[in-house]
Amino acid sequence: MNTQTLNGSSETLGEVQLECKDLAYSYSASHVIFKDINIKTYTDELVAIVGPSGTGKSTLIRVLANLIPPTAGHVFLNGTEVKTPSSRISLVHQSIATFPWMTSLDNVKIVLRNKVKDDEATEIAKKMITLVGLQGHEDDYPKEMSGGMRQRIAIARALAASPTIMLMDEPFVHLDELTANTLRGDIYSILFNPENELKSVILVSHNLHEVVQLADRVYVMGGTPAQIINEIKIDLPRPRLEEEPVFYEYVKMLYNDLIPKESKG
Amino acid sequence: MELGIIALATLASLGRVLALILLSIVSGWFLSYFAIKSRKFENIYISFVNIFESIPVIGFLPIVLVVFITGLGGTLGVEVAADFLVFDAIVWNIWIGQYQAFKTIPQPLIEVSENYNFGWWGKMKSLYIPFSYPRVSSDIFPSFADALFYIMISEVFSVGITSYKAFGIGTLIVQATSVGDLNSVYECLGVLAIGVVVITLAFGNFSKYAVAKYGLNTSTEIKRHVRYWRPHIRKWRAVGSPTFQFAQYTTKMRTGRENIQSAMTKVRTSRSFERTGKYIGTAIAWLFLVFIGYSSIQVMLSVPHSLWVSYFAQTPNLLYQMGIDYVRVLVVTVISFVFAVSLGYYLAVHRRVSIASLPIIQTISAFPAPAYFPLVFAATAPFLAHVIPFAETEIFVMILCFLGTFYYVFFGFWVGVRAIPVEFLELTQNYKIGFFTKMRRIIIPATFPYLVTGLSSTINSAWGGLAVAEYWPNIFGNQTLQVHTGMMKVISAGLVNGNIGLAAWTSLLFAVVVGVYSIVFTRNLMDLARKKYVIEEGIYAA
Ligand SMILES: Nc1ncnc2c1ncn2[C@@H]1O[C@H](COP(=O)(O)OP(=O)(O)OP(=O)(O)O)[C@@H](O)[C@H]1O
Ligand SMILES: [Mg+2]
Repeated sequence: MNTQTLNGSSETLGEVQLECKDLAYSYSASHVIFKDINIKTYTDELVAIVGPSGTGKSTLIRVLANLIPPTAGHVFLNGTEVKTPSSRISLVHQSIATFPWMTSLDNVKIVLRNKVKDDEATEIAKKMITLVGLQGHEDDYPKEMSGGMRQRIAIARALAASPTIMLMDEPFVHLDELTANTLRGDIYSILFNPENELKSVILVSHNLHEVVQLADRVYVMGGTPAQIINEIKIDLPRPRLEEEPVFYEYVKMLYNDLIPKESKG
Repeated sequence: MELGIIALATLASLGRVLALILLSIVSGWFLSYFAIKSRKFENIYISFVNIFESIPVIGFLPIVLVVFITGLGGTLGVEVAADFLVFDAIVWNIWIGQYQAFKTIPQPLIEVSENYNFGWWGKMKSLYIPFSYPRVSSDIFPSFADALFYIMISEVFSVGITSYKAFGIGTLIVQATSVGDLNSVYECLGVLAIGVVVITLAFGNFSKYAVAKYGLNTSTEIKRHVRYWRPHIRKWRAVGSPTFQFAQYTTKMRTGRENIQSAMTKVRTSRSFERTGKYIGTAIAWLFLVFIGYSSIQVMLSVPHSLWVSYFAQTPNLLYQMGIDYVRVLVVTVISFVFAVSLGYYLAVHRRVSIASLPIIQTISAFPAPAYFPLVFAATAPFLAHVIPFAETEIFVMILCFLGTFYYVFFGFWVGVRAIPVEFLELTQNYKIGFFTKMRRIIIPATFPYLVTGLSSTINSAWGGLAVAEYWPNIFGNQTLQVHTGMMKVISAGLVNGNIGLAAWTSLLFAVVVGVYSIVFTRNLMDLARKKYVIEEGIYAA
C-alpha cells in the first residue's frame, strides 16, 4: 500500500521509533477485533489513527502500551520488542485519569517516585506543569480545576515520565469545543518541545479537523476484523489554518475513507 | 458503681469494637486486592463472604462460645469469644464494600498505575487504598452499630450455673439491670451514649473528609447529570451529605464505560476455573457449618444415651419452633422493609429534613438497643401486660429485633434512592406517574441491588435480635423475658439451665436448615439482582 498525499511529494522519514508487526487482537475466537496491523512511527512525528466507532482503536492503543497482550504480533520500540507496560510508552486517557486525592504536583510526581530523588522529582514536575501552562496551580486538586486543566496535568504527567512515545486516546473528546481548540493549538509545541525526549506521538481521534490540524501522517482503520485500509500523509506547513482550501481537501479525503463503501459517490 | 470504672469499661468495649473494625479494614484491603488480581481467589473469597454474610452466626452463639471457652479456657476464651462475635458482626460488610470499591476503580486510573510501573505497594498506596476510603467510611457506620448491638451478649455469657464475663460496659449494664440498680444503669447508658456520639461524629467527619478528598468529582465528570439539573436541586446537592455524594459516585461507576479491563479478564479466564473457585468458597463456608455440627455432636456425645432418644423425639417440635422463628424473622423484615422504604424515600426527597436528621438517625442506630431495652421493658411491661396480655412478649421481641435491624435496609435504600439518576425522577414528574407506580416500577427496581444487600443483612441481624430477645433471664431485677415458643429460646435456655445436649442438637438442626436456605435463597436473590436490575458490575456498587 502506498502512502497517499495530496501533492504526491515524498520526503525521507527519520528513524523508526514505535513499530508493530502483524498485530491482532480478539476477545474470543469468534470475535476478532483487528488483525494484521502494521504501523510505524518516525522521529518527531505525530501519527493519527482514525476509524469508525467500535473498530478497535482504543483496543489497539492499549495493546501498543502493553496494557493488554496482543493475540498475535509484536510491538517494538527502537527495534527492541516490548512486552510489559513501561513509561517509555505513555498513555494519555480521554478522562478521569488524574488521581482526585492528589494535588496537581503530586499527580505529576507520582510517575517519578522511586526513580529520582524527591527534590529532583519536584523540579521536573514543576517544569512540566509550566510547560503545559499551569504554573501557579501546583497545589490545586483536580476537583478545583477545569476539564482542560486536568487534561493538561495528565499530559504533564506523561511528559514527566520522559517517554519516547506518547499514545493519546481521544484526549480532547470530553472537553468543550473552546477548551479543546486552545489545547489543540498548544499541544504540538508542548509535545515536540526540544526539552522533551519524546520522539513520536500516536493520536486516536474522531475529529477529522483535529487530525488534519495535528497529524503528520494518518492511518485509517476499517473493516471487520479491522485492518489498516489507508495511510495518508498530511503535507501542510504549520501552523495549519482551517480556512485554507487544502486543509479542507484533506478533511474530505479522510471523510471519504470513513464512510461505508457502498454509499461512496 | 464508680464512674471511673464505667468510663474504663466503656473504653474497653468501644476499643474492642474499633480495634476489630481496624483489623477488618486492613485485612480487607489485602484480601480484596488478591481477589481482583486472581480470578480463582476472587470466586472463593466472594462466595465465602456472601454465604457468611447470610449465615446468622449469632444464632450459634452458645455453641461457638462453648467451643472457645472449653477450647481456650477461662478469661482468654471469653475474650476471644467476645472478639469473635464482634468481628463477625462487622467484618463482612466492610470486606464486601472494599471489594466492590476495588472493582469499580475507573479503568484509566488503573492503566496509569500500570503504565508507570507503580509496583504492588505503589498501586495499593496511591490508588487502591485511597480509592476505597469513601466506601469504607460509609460502611463502618452499620458495622459499628451491629457490633454494639451484641455488646451485652458477647460480653456476658452463662452456661449452667457458671457465668463468664469479659470486661466491658455490656457486662456492667447486665449486672446493674439484673439487680434493678437503676442509677447505675443510667450512668452506664450515659457514659456509653457519650462514647457513641463521639465516635459517630468522628466517623461522620471522616466520611465527609473521605468523600471530599478521595471521591471522584462527579458533578463535573458526569456531564449528563449536571446539565439537566434544575437550580434548586443543584442547591441541595451542594450541601448534600457524604453519603449522597458517595451514592452519586457509585452511580457514575455504573454508568461509566470504564469496565473494559475487567470484562477482558472475565473473558480470558475459563468457565471451569470459575466453577471450581465457587465450589471451594462454598465449601469453606460449609466447613463452618460442619464445624458447628461437629461441635454440637461433641457436646451431645458427652450427654447420656437415654437423653438422645428424647432429643430425637423432640425433633418435629424443634422444627416447628424453628418455623415460628422464621415467621418472626419474616415479620420483622417486612416491617423494616416498609419502614425503611417509606422513611428512606421521604428523606431522600426532602433533603433539608434529611441533612438535619441523618446524623441523629445514625447515632440512634449505633446506640445498642439491648443496653437500654431493659428500661423500656421495665417501664412498659406492666402496661402492655394489662392491655394485650396475649401478645406482650411478642411485641417486645419485635421491637428489639426491629431496633437492631431496620437501619441496614434503611441506609441501603437511602443510598440507593439518591443514586437514582435525576432523569428518572424528572420523568415521573413529567408524566405525572403516581406514587405507587413510581415506587413499584422505578424506585424499587432501581434500588433493588441496594435493597438485596440491605435485606440479607437485616434478615441476618433479625436472628441476632431473636437470640437476644427470646430468652432474657433477669432482664430487669428478677423478671425474665421469654417467649412461649421459639428455637432461639430452646438454645439459650438449654444452656443457661444446663441442658447443653438439647441446645447442641437444636443448633445442629438449625445449621443444616440455614445452609440449605443460604444456598437456595440468598444466592439466588443476589444473582437475580445482578442479572435483572443492574448493568455490568452495578451490584458491586450497591
Ligand atoms: N470487554 C469486551 N469484550 C468483548 N468485546 C469488546 C470488549 N470491549 C470492547 N469490545 C469490542 O471491541 C471493539 C473495539 O472496541 P474499542 O473500544 O477498541 O473501539 P474504538 O474504535 O475505540 O471505538 P470508539 O471510537 O467508539 O472509541 C468493539 O466492537 C467492542 O464491541
Ligand atoms: Mg475508543
